[in-house]
Amino acid sequence: MQHADWSTLYPWLVWILTALIGMGIAMAYAGKRLHIRRLPAIDAIEEAVGRATEMGRPMLFVPGLAGIDVPSFQAVAIAGHIAKLAARYRTRIIMPVTDTVIMTMAEQVLKESYAEGGAPEAFRPEDIRFLSGDQFAFASGVVGLMNRERVAANFFFGNFAAESLILAETGQALGAIQIAGTPSTLQIPFFIAACDFTVIGEEYYAVTAYLTREPILLGSVWGQDICRIAIAALIFTATVLQKILPTLVLKFLGLG
Amino acid sequence: MFEPVRDFWLNLGLIFGAIFISIFVLAALHASPPQFKRLLTIFVVFFAGLYFPVEFYIPRHNFLTPFRDSVSNLVQVLAAFTFGLGVVNLVLIHGKQVLRRTANLPFSLAFFAGFLLMTVVGFIQRYSPKLWVGDVGAGQIGFWDGMHKLLFEGMLLPLTSTVFSLLAFFIVSAAYRAFRIRTLEAGLLMTAAVIVMLANVPVGTWLTSWLPAEGWLKWFRLENAAIWLTTQINAPTQRAILFGLWVGALGAALRIWLSLERTFTAGSR
Repeated sequence: MQHADWSTLYPWLVWILTALIGMGIAMAYAGKRLHIRRLPAIDAIEEAVGRATEMGRPMLFVPGLAGIDVPSFQAVAIAGHIAKLAARYRTRIIMPVTDTVIMTMAEQVLKESYAEGGAPEAFRPEDIRFLSGDQFAFASGVVGLMNRERVAANFFFGNFAAESLILAETGQALGAIQIAGTPSTLQIPFFIAACDFTVIGEEYYAVTAYLTREPILLGSVWGQDICRIAIAALIFTATVLQKILPTLVLKFLGLG
Repeated sequence: MFEPVRDFWLNLGLIFGAIFISIFVLAALHASPPQFKRLLTIFVVFFAGLYFPVEFYIPRHNFLTPFRDSVSNLVQVLAAFTFGLGVVNLVLIHGKQVLRRTANLPFSLAFFAGFLLMTVVGFIQRYSPKLWVGDVGAGQIGFWDGMHKLLFEGMLLPLTSTVFSLLAFFIVSAAYRAFRIRTLEAGLLMTAAVIVMLANVPVGTWLTSWLPAEGWLKWFRLENAAIWLTTQINAPTQRAILFGLWVGALGAALRIWLSLERTFTAGSR
């Protein structure tokens, strides 16, 4: 593995972005009130939980295919918040997983979320199911689960690949309300076509901040927005000025 | 970093010693008070998360580099422990179905049959391919190799391909819903999809082949319009989404590293 090349912009950029996000967190910590725009897909989560409760059917949460990575951590965090809502209504969440590390993590998170939601007895450890480490064996297992349990709501959050449409179309055929979010850009169109609500792009990482409204999390989302504005400004400036910038600067920017 | 141990008994002792110590540590952690667990999680996440950036951002080979493989292997050790839990989870769920004779009994029996068959054949094929069958002639395939091939290439792979092929039908039904022109956006989507699809089949390119290959009119030829759509509209949009996503991932990683995402450190609540 190589080490950082400090003669280029990239390592500097990562630390500058980290500092900007840290600044957002610090500002929120200091008491600055921050606003987050409405995310209809996340507002629909409560509606989906309510619908599953009314129908007396369970819900399904699929945290994607990946093992330990940031999107999977985010997916488990979202599952925790949905479990808290589900606990209020004593509704079941079935969570099939493809990675055993995620399984143990999800078991702990959901158990605590049900306890926090006031219904620790509603948590069933057997609802966290390791199906298979193989992509399509997992997909067929989830499809089977959906059909046998007649789920009323499906949540797809995490890294997905070709199985995304198999899962979402089966849910659509069953008439389940479906909410999805994924950092896999190639799967976003499939989810948009087959799900009722889809979280797109960076919204995926803002879900927990939006659900909890915790100031520190909102601060990190605010910091991320500043980072995006900074990157867009950098791209625009470098594009406009690349004909007049000296070679040394162009090399530093990775354009030379 | 470490030299492999050659002595068989020492190796065995080290393996079992490591397993016993790990079980003892896990049991002690399980029995510890929630507040302690929470603090330990925060401490471990912070220092584990600090190691890799510091090692990467210090230029060239540094004092942290020799430990890089060992630290990376820790993830695999953790995964190995949880893999056992995954198998236990499967056996418990399907075992209950069998004992209670529920409507899902056939699926659970199929699981046990497949699981045991694949495990037994896989182990014999790997560690004792001559068990009960003796030697095989040159150019012949052994019984256990053949069995493994039959189960893996003859059953598992075709089943996987079958599930994958279902995707084609699901794409058609999803496309039917997505392409119904009810809004301006759906209309644009439909138009772009038709152009790209037609440009990828011979009859599509033939439709506009009468247009000149040079000059501004060339952009109305379907193959050029499709290239324009994919490289000038689709690619920048995807990159913009990716920019947003990676900055979001950086923020999420920072929150997890500093234990601000309370979902994972909520043990004390």
